Amino acid sequence: MAKLTIEAENCKGCGLCVDACPQKILRIDPEAINHKGHSPAQMTDESRCSGCGSCAIMCPDCAISLER
Amino acid sequence: MAETVLMKGNEALAEAAILAGCRHYFGYPITPQTEIGAYLAKRMPQVGGVFLQAESEIAAIHMVYGASCAGKRAMTSSSSPGISLKSEGLSYLAGSDLPAFVVNVQRAGPGLGGIQPAQADYFQATRGGGHGDFRNIVLAPASVQEMADLTIRGFDLADRYNMTAMILSDGTIGQMMEQVVLESATPTEYEKPWALTGTRCEREKNVITSLYLAPAELEQKNLSRFERYQIVQRVEATHEAYCMEDADICVVAYGISARVSKNAVAAARAKGIRAGLIRPITLWPFPTEALKQAAGSVKHFLSVEMSMGQMIQDIELAIRCTRPVSLVSRVGGIIPTPEQVLLAIEHANKGEAV
Repeated sequence: MAKLTIEAENCKGCGLCVDACPQKILRIDPEAINHKGHSPAQMTDESRCSGCGSCAIMCPDCAISLER
Repeated sequence: MAETVLMKGNEALAEAAILAGCRHYFGYPITPQTEIGAYLAKRMPQVGGVFLQAESEIAAIHMVYGASCAGKRAMTSSSSPGISLKSEGLSYLAGSDLPAFVVNVQRAGPGLGGIQPAQADYFQATRGGGHGDFRNIVLAPASVQEMADLTIRGFDLADRYNMTAMILSDGTIGQMMEQVVLESATPTEYEKPWALTGTRCEREKNVITSLYLAPAELEQKNLSRFERYQIVQRVEATHEAYCMEDADICVVAYGISARVSKNAVAAARAKGIRAGLIRPITLWPFPTEALKQAAGSVKHFLSVEMSMGQMIQDIELAIRCTRPVSLVSRVGGIIPTPEQVLLAIEHANKGEAV
């Protein structure tokens, strides 16, 4: 079971992780807003995460970490 | 050979400022340029420089005025609403003929607008951006590498012409991560006999002011300033031409819009359409000559911009309206797609309305 952590304060909402996720379980959360004003990425269904780490590798701001 | 690193546009710009010999940064945070200040807060103390978060944007630009009076390379950075606040300082810097380096990482407006990228401050930047007759040198980076390179050039131009050099970037280029090579070079030192460095009772005191109550003297100041501006226009206008050798359709775009347009031009070429791109690197001075020359063979110009039609006026002026110029734009924080630009190129090529 993989555990994904998104550091919302470091996220600029670019959406590259959303594109990279093969399971399509990440989204940009339009309801949330960080201190810089960006809407960060959000995990929608942890149970379907395969732990591949594509999102963490893709994230240009190192805002995603994965434990497995 | 300098190392290639992956950096955010704002951070590459900040590191380049240090390479350019800037040791005085004054600013106030605002998305999407906050990383410039954050980076320099960390770096300036390491190089014996000053990082100061001012109480406001207005304070920050006047601190730049002060440091520049002392002959030092100084900078401030902000995003659109913050630049409006700085416009008073921009006018005073111009009125006092002081070099300064100012960064605008544009966001959508007017007012507070949004935090997503835009190019709606074109008029504000290229027309001076404050009261009185003056211009700023305006540089438009289209990559993280250019955020660095044009920063180094900007400090140099500011010192050479005693005027403000402004980077007109946008939220995309500022936030984007890309590879960049930061070459260290010794910054050119400029003689500044006018600087306020203390007379040590050995010379007449220098006075730096923008106040000239005698109209004849003030007229002379304006005239000599514009003679300098004419030299800048003659010498410093810079652009990139892509596929322009035999172009029928000429796309004109700067910054992130130029990146999108370049893809569209390549796609048009693949379809056999003779499209080309002129990318102004300096927005003031505008690359008028290059456009005038292109108008000799180009049938239709397209101005791709993230504003409601601002740069299009400079294109029409440059070519004296001898060819049709159409606007292709998205605003409010939305970036045009290559497909949108390609469609416009196709319409223009068929002589249809864009």
